[in-house]
Amino acid sequence: MTFFDLARKNAWRKPLRTVLLMISIAVAFLIYGLTASFLNGTQGAAGASDDLLGVTSASGRTQPLPIAAMSRITADLDVAAAGYVARLRGFVDVEKNFVAVSAADPGLLMAVNGKELGLTPALIDAIGQARDKVLVGRALAEAQGWIAGQRVTVTAFDMSRQDGSRDWRFEIAGIFEGENAATDTYFMIARYDYVNAARVRGKDTVDAFVVRPRAGVSPGELAARIDTLFSNSATPTRTQSERQFLEAFLRQYADIGLIVNLVVGAAFVTLLMIVVNTMVFAVRERTFEIGVLKTLGFSRLDIVALILGETLFVFAVGGGIGLALAKLAATFAGPALGLVFSTPVLVKALAIIAALGLATGVLPAFNAMRIPIITAFRTR
Amino acid sequence: MTQGNEPYIALSGIKKAYRIGGEMIPIFSGLDLTIPRGDFVAVMGPSGSGKSTLLNMLAGIDRPDGGTLRIGTSHLDQMGEAARAAWRAHNMGIVFQFYNLLPMLTAAENVELPLLLKPLTRKERRLRVERVLDLVGLSGREKQYPALMSGGQQQRVGIARAIVSDPGLLLCDEPTGDLDRKSADEVLEMLRFLNRQLEKTIIMVTHDPQAALYARRTLHLDKGDFIEEKRAA
Repeated sequence: MTFFDLARKNAWRKPLRTVLLMISIAVAFLIYGLTASFLNGTQGAAGASDDLLGVTSASGRTQPLPIAAMSRITADLDVAAAGYVARLRGFVDVEKNFVAVSAADPGLLMAVNGKELGLTPALIDAIGQARDKVLVGRALAEAQGWIAGQRVTVTAFDMSRQDGSRDWRFEIAGIFEGENAATDTYFMIARYDYVNAARVRGKDTVDAFVVRPRAGVSPGELAARIDTLFSNSATPTRTQSERQFLEAFLRQYADIGLIVNLVVGAAFVTLLMIVVNTMVFAVRERTFEIGVLKTLGFSRLDIVALILGETLFVFAVGGGIGLALAKLAATFAGPALGLVFSTPVLVKALAIIAALGLATGVLPAFNAMRIPIITAFRTR
Repeated sequence: MTQGNEPYIALSGIKKAYRIGGEMIPIFSGLDLTIPRGDFVAVMGPSGSGKSTLLNMLAGIDRPDGGTLRIGTSHLDQMGEAARAAWRAHNMGIVFQFYNLLPMLTAAENVELPLLLKPLTRKERRLRVERVLDLVGLSGREKQYPALMSGGQQQRVGIARAIVSDPGLLLCDEPTGDLDRKSADEVLEMLRFLNRQLEKTIIMVTHDPQAALYARRTLHLDKGDFIEEKRAA
């Protein structure tokens, strides 16, 4: 027997109570795992660059810009590289399985944003083999279970083909990894020439230009200059850094994120109170035995360790079950729900398990630590 | 360790009073007592005479209000709670009237409890537990839970737990108070064996004159002082 065995056996003295506690903890961490996976699978602003500029219509991001504006942008000597993107939003198989496609000139995209996206010459060659080839980001590929060479059909929400269909068929030419774990790779890159030729409306327009300033050039100043360039045109522009652009785009989900955090926070606070209350009573029932342990030579710190060990055990088992269920859900329903159960989500959850396990044990442990042996013996 | 003829246990001028209903009730007002190493002392006396208070102070779970209390080289009256806990873990075993075994632990696990506080390997702990369970005649019952054991067997587990750390001092609080005569005699024989063969110093609080006969001497406490001392037959 070890100290941990003793804590574990204490926890199982009333199996029904312990099982109910574990279930409530498991449910709370299932909720946390699912919501964290959801936010993780739908956001990528953290990996966005401050140096990369996005030029969109001043009337709104959904308003197109003529592709002809590209030449006026690249005419500025402070522009190192520029590309363009037309967005195709749709789903695969079921409507909930949202997929975003960025239709671009792969070569230009490589020049302007290749490093951040993890594009390689081999990938650019691969997408250049045929007009319907696409490159898929690692996060999207993992979530969907896609591999290179696979054919996928994206049903567009609002971009019809000339044949009347909204189904866009692509063949995966390769997977791009992103520069690091924070890079948003939950989308695919298609060829603009293919999409532009096949679509009914919006021909020769783009949703955004992507601009990389020359080294030493202030992105803010260049952005202002580009917007001035188009201020008196038919399509005034709004130029922001990639980070500003993505954050503004994601702000529409910010309320959802806030609500999700509040719900999870409320669940954890409730859980904290339930477990603290239960543990206080559980330890109070054992006051006499704590007196016996102290008589045998267990110090106050030993008693504290024993009770913290017990609450940690309950949280570890309950939390572990909840996270395992969240992982299963992300594995089997991830593509449909946009869930990505990543290592950072797991690490954060484990830290919360440890923190809550200790926090819930502090009060009962403190009570048990303080009680004098003589007083403990009077409780029988 | 005590030197030369110095007694193993020495209480001098012990004072202790409890506040009951706003009034201080004195239990001891200058109690003196010496016990040599290897003695087996029965402490008898009416309820309220201070037997349990004396035992609690000897166990370091209660402190005198005044006077000095030394066991071996340790001055319990001057030690803080943590030091007294450590002292109990290494120097003293205690046998309770109602055994006080933890119900969710097996006999072997109950006996092993004090060893968790010592720097022993799992194997060393297991060997010690097996040895003392064999000593108290409970070999083969290691995995039995207290609820499935008789009172006599539970008390033998309690004794095994008290001696597993090999302490020099054994304190027994009415160890036969909850047992039938036959089981009580078995337990008392065991205590006598521990005293005679293993040279444990034993102090046993009891109401039972029959039990006191197993001790080397009996001290009678009344009104906070020893009024009679005699050698057992």
